[in-house]
Amino acid sequence: MSQSSDSPALVGTRWVELGLTLFTTLIGVVVMYGSVEQGIGWGDSGPEPGYFPFYIGLLLSAASVGNGVLTLVRWKALSISFVSRSAFRQVLSVFIPIALFVAAMPFTGIYVASACFIAWFMWRDNTRVKPYGKLMIASISLGAVLASYLIFALWFKVPLDAGPLGDWIALAGRHFK
Amino acid sequence: MSEFDSLLQGMNLILTPGHIGLMVIGVLLGILVGVLPGLGAPNGVALLLPLTFTMSPVSAIILLSCMYWGALFGGSITSILFNIPGEPSSVATTFDGYPMAREGRAAEALTAAFSSALIGALAGVLLLTFLSTRIAEFAMSFSSPEFFAVYLLAFCTFIGMSKNPPLKTVVAMMIGFAMAAVGMDTVSGNLRLTFDQPTLMTGISFEVAVIGLFGIGEILCTVEEGLVFRGEHARITPMVILRTWAKLPRYWWTIVRSTLVGCWMGITPGGPTAASFMSYSLARRFSKNRENFGKGELEGVIAPETADHAAGTSALLPMLTLGIPGSATAAVMLGGLMIWGLHPGPTLFVEQHDFVWGLIASMYLGNVVSLIVVLATVPLFASILRIPFSIIAPIIIMVCAIGAYSVHNSFFDVVLMLGFGALGYLFKKLGYPIAPLVLAAVLGDKAEDAFRQSMLFSDGHLGIFWSNPLVGGLTTAALLMLFWPLISKALQTLTGLRKPQLAKPKSVL
Repeated sequence: MSQSSDSPALVGTRWVELGLTLFTTLIGVVVMYGSVEQGIGWGDSGPEPGYFPFYIGLLLSAASVGNGVLTLVRWKALSISFVSRSAFRQVLSVFIPIALFVAAMPFTGIYVASACFIAWFMWRDNTRVKPYGKLMIASISLGAVLASYLIFALWFKVPLDAGPLGDWIALAGRHFK
Repeated sequence: MSEFDSLLQGMNLILTPGHIGLMVIGVLLGILVGVLPGLGAPNGVALLLPLTFTMSPVSAIILLSCMYWGALFGGSITSILFNIPGEPSSVATTFDGYPMAREGRAAEALTAAFSSALIGALAGVLLLTFLSTRIAEFAMSFSSPEFFAVYLLAFCTFIGMSKNPPLKTVVAMMIGFAMAAVGMDTVSGNLRLTFDQPTLMTGISFEVAVIGLFGIGEILCTVEEGLVFRGEHARITPMVILRTWAKLPRYWWTIVRSTLVGCWMGITPGGPTAASFMSYSLARRFSKNRENFGKGELEGVIAPETADHAAGTSALLPMLTLGIPGSATAAVMLGGLMIWGLHPGPTLFVEQHDFVWGLIASMYLGNVVSLIVVLATVPLFASILRIPFSIIAPIIIMVCAIGAYSVHNSFFDVVLMLGFGALGYLFKKLGYPIAPLVLAAVLGDKAEDAFRQSMLFSDGHLGIFWSNPLVGGLTTAALLMLFWPLISKALQTLTGLRKPQLAKPKSVL
């Protein structure tokens, strides 16, 4: 299943390195900006709220710039592929469903989103000789959701947002009483 | 009161059926997260935290710490049977553990790993039992500058001793500090770095970061590598256990040395991972069977496992006495302590006597329980790994999402988790360490408080960090640690003692 060597490179490591240093530098700048808003000097009661975070932001940006410089120094050596096209497709094929799962959660509630997510994941698994049967998919996805309801909501009293489905069930429960 | 009396008192407290039941549950859950890819000890403890809020602190810490022991044990199962370290700290165990399993000696390797792990752990707990009160008493005289200097020492050690590039460690750490600063300022009550976003008002929880960085990031890496679990089978019979135990005394010196390495790395923030690698390379250098290392040498399993567990347990010593965790998992537990309303640090030993000694007593018992449970359940957990990835992965991701959600009951945290997951993937691929980020996120507020207090004392002069021998020594040591890579290089060139094979040990990977 490892296909990192036989497919063309998507992007050089150096670009990813550089992109990440740019990102962390920006975080540092945002932190410094936010700290300056709060005051980074010496107030009536000692250091102002932004005093400490400002230096954190400064160090973050400085270290990021340093990393950027190091990347440029090793520019040639870092031309190796960061990830191959097919391996990255593999990563995206997991990451995008997670993103959709997370995005759907507030609208459908945790339980429905989770069940669909697990079912979809099992259904599109084409590495197997024989795909999962419908019954198998349904029982595992619903079973996992039921288990999480029992463990979190019922036994440990950590309420999970059930979304509209929860409302309907609650409504139906009231209706039948 | 002597340590022994306190320990007996603690034993009395925890020897109830309820607490022992919790231990078994904690160990089982721990082995599970240790075995599953994408879930590790820091992650598992973070996921379990919201469930402990309704428990008493003693029960909660028993559950969490036993989960930690279970995860340490579980990590060795996958290392030996599948050549896949379930935990970063058990990477070194794969070097000789997996070859042994290939030769059909899996049961022997597992028994040796678990037994030496128990020895290492018990040594760590003994250290904790007899040193903690003394360190806590000593630390009672600390005030803000001393505390800040200790934090500084911890963070600088991380930077100087890390295998990762120092600047990358700094970046990871500073992101953690920046995270901790978001939300309400503990001193003035102002809202900081929230940019008028109501979702940021409660701050960014370290739990969410841990779940995203370790959980989702790990899953993405696993997918990219296209991992397939093809493992060796193992059945542990009482005969094999006895035969392996009979062999262990032969390796007493390896065990002692690994224990020392482990305890030292656990107390200083080197952590279990560094300890196991160091112990493995030391064992290889001094062993009579050097050639056999990497091909299935029992000593190569014993050394990293002993050090791993010794470090794992002694990481709790600085966490309890000074409020500084020695590993990522200890950092998450420390965060839990603060959420339960306890204040880690020297006062804990006075104010929460029962809690501290209950925990220490549970560490003796918990590790023994772990050994028994893990020996009995190896086949069960090995079969869990044979469940296809397309079933295990979405369930792990669901558990992570629910865990992130339940921290504040907010969907925004789940989105944050996803962001941290992507960051974790990039971090792992580019050699940024994750542990310092977690450490800084947990300790950020406390370090900042200590720093601001010190600045208040001194009216803004940094000289306060050299105002007496104790704080001066700590600060100087911190700076030495920070620049250690440069210093050691300078020393090498000065003395001209550059033995290539010593200066750069052959890559153990």
